[in-house]
Amino acid sequence: MHHVVLERWSRGDSPVHRRDARAKILLTLALLVLLSTAQDHLAAVSLLYFGALVMGLVAARLPVWGALVRAAVVLPFSAVFGLASWLAGEPERALALAAKSYLSALGVLLLVASTRMPDLLRAMESLGAPRFLLIVAQFLYRYLFIISEQAQHMRSAALSRGGFRRAGFRAAAGALGVLFARSYARADNIHRAMLARGFHGHFHMPAAARFGWADGLFLAAAGGGLALLRLAAGRLG
Amino acid sequence: MHIPDGFLSMPVWAGLDIGAAPAVAYLARRAQRDLEESRVALLGVMGAFVFAAQMINFPVGVGTSGHLVGSALLGVTLGPSAAAVVMTAILAIQALIFQDGGLLALGANVVNMAIVGVLAGYLPYHYWGRSGARKFALFLGGVLSVFAAALLAMAELLLSGVRIPGPVLGISVALFLVSAVIEGAITLAVFQAIERINPGFIRAPSGRGAPVLAGLLVAAVFLAAVGVLFASAWPDGLEKLAQDAGISGRAKALIATPFADYEAGFLSSVWLRKAAAGLAGLALVYGVCLVLARAARRRRSA
Repeated sequence: MHHVVLERWSRGDSPVHRRDARAKILLTLALLVLLSTAQDHLAAVSLLYFGALVMGLVAARLPVWGALVRAAVVLPFSAVFGLASWLAGEPERALALAAKSYLSALGVLLLVASTRMPDLLRAMESLGAPRFLLIVAQFLYRYLFIISEQAQHMRSAALSRGGFRRAGFRAAAGALGVLFARSYARADNIHRAMLARGFHGHFHMPAAARFGWADGLFLAAAGGGLALLRLAAGRLG
Repeated sequence: MHIPDGFLSMPVWAGLDIGAAPAVAYLARRAQRDLEESRVALLGVMGAFVFAAQMINFPVGVGTSGHLVGSALLGVTLGPSAAAVVMTAILAIQALIFQDGGLLALGANVVNMAIVGVLAGYLPYHYWGRSGARKFALFLGGVLSVFAAALLAMAELLLSGVRIPGPVLGISVALFLVSAVIEGAITLAVFQAIERINPGFIRAPSGRGAPVLAGLLVAAVFLAAVGVLFASAWPDGLEKLAQDAGISGRAKALIATPFADYEAGFLSSVWLRKAAAGLAGLALVYGVCLVLARAARRRRSA
């Protein structure tokens, strides 16, 4: 499954993996803003940023081609609106939408593939995201695989009985009803297990790692590099 | 419809991020208060359920199929504030892990689906959940949650300058309506299946404290989205109307907010100005959210 691969990537070891998650989040946001505000010389900007992101993937020792393919999931959406812009007589905008959305997705992918999920969520908390939301997100991520597998089993079982198509809409609804009831019961069990282990409604999160000088240097150098690339794109274009 | 990064212009994403962040913080606090014994595991697992539900395809007509979106179902089963938190967590995980929806655009997606979508899905049940129109309320909730979210997303794209020709716009709105009706039917069918398995599992709405304000808010947002769609489909019509009424000039002055011209003047080169203005905007979003959070905390402790 998709997120299992990402999980494996995020547990790798490289100079990029070792940087503080906050530095990487801020750098990713800077990249997204630089892309979102790019208007002139877009072709040059896109090419240079594409090169920078590929360098980032190489530095993080991630499979470059695999990551490039994975980020392409945004392209169907971009294609629909690109087509609409094209029909409206703005082909440049169509290309700009595709390039910007693809590069943004690649940037976020690089962040997530080089940062472990608990570190990422902890960094978001220290940047000010509500803790309750992050705990919910953590549980969601933890049980996503389990519940999805259950759904997959139910789907295989239904297909081996001839699929939902013959049984129709009500059978599919019945399957989802069962999945809902099972998930609810599972949540009850988890809650009881947590209580049995002494949960009193408070989570103890390990303190975030220190934001070292190497992290600051990394943020400044990479952020400055991205800004310089845009400057260079202006000169080239 | 998850909007990716690169589609929204800066005033649109920054404005929606500023709006969404304090709203989510407030909803998270409310959900935490309302839940018995802080049953946070339930919210996470139900979020995973909504993800997994997308694997079960519902046959719709010949050769096509739909799947559950889930905002209305979550709103009815968990309550609106908990459902909004779960939907926000889903959107964040989708943006991060599945590259489905952008990070800067997260505020927009949260407003569309987790706030307006959940409220629009829940409100019919809140008003008519006890009466004989209960089934219709559930169906309507499913329809409204998807239709409102899709129209809002479309309006945000149009406001950001994405050009969509009139006929294409008409076709998309028709498609939204079809998928909204499918969501309504799925929501109702799943709800009935849950009740068959666990009779009496879903409590009837308390009927107390009818959220009139929330209803008005959803209606206003809905109307604004429809207005933007109409304005984009017939831009000349609106202009002409404004000219006839002689309000064009005044309207322009009104609309010229500080954000409309968001370039920091002291920098010379155009791209540098745009980028610096963007980064300053992001810092502004962050600062406003921090100040609001601090103010809320002080009020609570006072």
